[in-house]
Amino acid sequence: MNNLSHDEAYSELAAVALDAVSVELSVAVREHAAVCPECGPELSAMEETVAQLGQLVPQRAMNLGHGAGIRSRLVMRARGERESRSAAAPGPPDLARGVASLTGLGHKLTPGTQRAVDAEVKKALPPQKRQRSFPGGNLLALAASIAFIATAIQLARVTSDRNSLRNQVATRPAPPVPQDSANAPATEKEALIAAMAGPDVKIVPLSTKGAAGMGRVFWNRSSNDWTMVVYTMRPPKPGMTYQVWLVTDSAKISAGTFKPDSNGHAFMQAKYALDRNALKAVAVTEEPAGGMPSPTGPIVVSGSAAP
Amino acid sequence: MNPSEQELSYSREVRSNAEDVALIRRMCDADETALGALYDRWVRSLYSLVFHLLKDADEAEDVVEETFWQAWRKASSYEPSRGAVSTWLLTIGRRRALDRLRAKGRRREESMSQSGVLADVASSAPDPLQAAEESERRSQVRAALRELPDEQRSVLELGYFQGLSQAEIADMTGQPLGTVKTRMRLAMQKLREPLSMYRESAE
Repeated sequence: MNNLSHDEAYSELAAVALDAVSVELSVAVREHAAVCPECGPELSAMEETVAQLGQLVPQRAMNLGHGAGIRSRLVMRARGERESRSAAAPGPPDLARGVASLTGLGHKLTPGTQRAVDAEVKKALPPQKRQRSFPGGNLLALAASIAFIATAIQLARVTSDRNSLRNQVATRPAPPVPQDSANAPATEKEALIAAMAGPDVKIVPLSTKGAAGMGRVFWNRSSNDWTMVVYTMRPPKPGMTYQVWLVTDSAKISAGTFKPDSNGHAFMQAKYALDRNALKAVAVTEEPAGGMPSPTGPIVVSGSAAP
Repeated sequence: MNPSEQELSYSREVRSNAEDVALIRRMCDADETALGALYDRWVRSLYSLVFHLLKDADEAEDVVEETFWQAWRKASSYEPSRGAVSTWLLTIGRRRALDRLRAKGRRREESMSQSGVLADVASSAPDPLQAAEESERRSQVRAALRELPDEQRSVLELGYFQGLSQAEIADMTGQPLGTVKTRMRLAMQKLREPLSMYRESAE
């Protein structure tokens, strides 16, 4: 088929433009047209003419809700892809875009720090609970509560150690600033502790029907840092993802999407300025992959921000 | 403005290809808002075309989503010298719709006497009210088609709007394959001239 003569190819241009020939013939004609100074422009002109025919079909509006959903999925999917590329490339994280910038990421920590967070959660959870997917019930609530208390104790201890070290460091001459990357995880861990601890941190406990202690959201109202830890969550259904919402009286603000790991754990961080009295609740819904501009799926986990 | 409002704001304003090309360039730079803007500009035309082919709203919506996602992923492959962005988009969408039709071996069973879009063109002059409502471009396309002989218009109808191949048209109409090819080519050549004013340059 690749041995088409010029005349043979030329005679098929209209049919190729109309997609009215076999794939093999279409490919052969297009290969010829790509290098033929006569057939190339002719085929382009015919394709333009064919496109004009599309004007004649009765104009039909898509269902508004479906159209908005498709648009939203496309844009969020494209954003997720862009941010995945950005995350893969070296460079500082871009927090300037606000909460929605976390869509599709779920983890903003270096692998080392992520391992540290996972270790904290694993350490805090009783061993027999680690491998269970989603048992539910009061035992889980109790285990989860113990986990967070233990985690809080760990955090308090680390914070105390940090403050003690800071005091010691403050009394000594300043050492040379290390330039190697080995200190980056420690700095990140400090930032994490700062985001989750302090007098201005509001903690929103997350629960689901029949099971409390599904996780916590830490909102540092001074630094606008949001940190969410959830555990023992089942994986979302195929093609779906979990999406976090900050609920105020007037809006449901997307705080990004996430998928739990194989142990049902997930960790998210975001930076978003919200009036300190505006938050009414935090909710997690199951949404189509890529997320939605407003919640459409059932609430999987939620927590009231009431004092 | 939320997406619904943006879609509602769709209008028949002239959408210059230069603006479309600028959006494609932004998409090449991974600007997802450009994808949203391109969607707003062309979703109605694209959906109308693929729905006309597929006759199924769910499938047509799937094709629309696939088409715009392909446009995002392949934005860098768009070549302005080969035609307008709208042509590129509609071509992608139409091919995807035809692929679905052909994969399922689904065929519309309308006879030629029940033909749709172009038969309307042939049988009735546009009434003043209808003409006033149509865009100038659509009126020009209709006028150009009205000038075609019936047999050439029928071949176009079956090829473009029903997605039949030349061989299938020959089988359906009982015409020799060579005759179908000739009529299709002549029809396209006759349409080119009156419609050439709408072949937009890239810039």
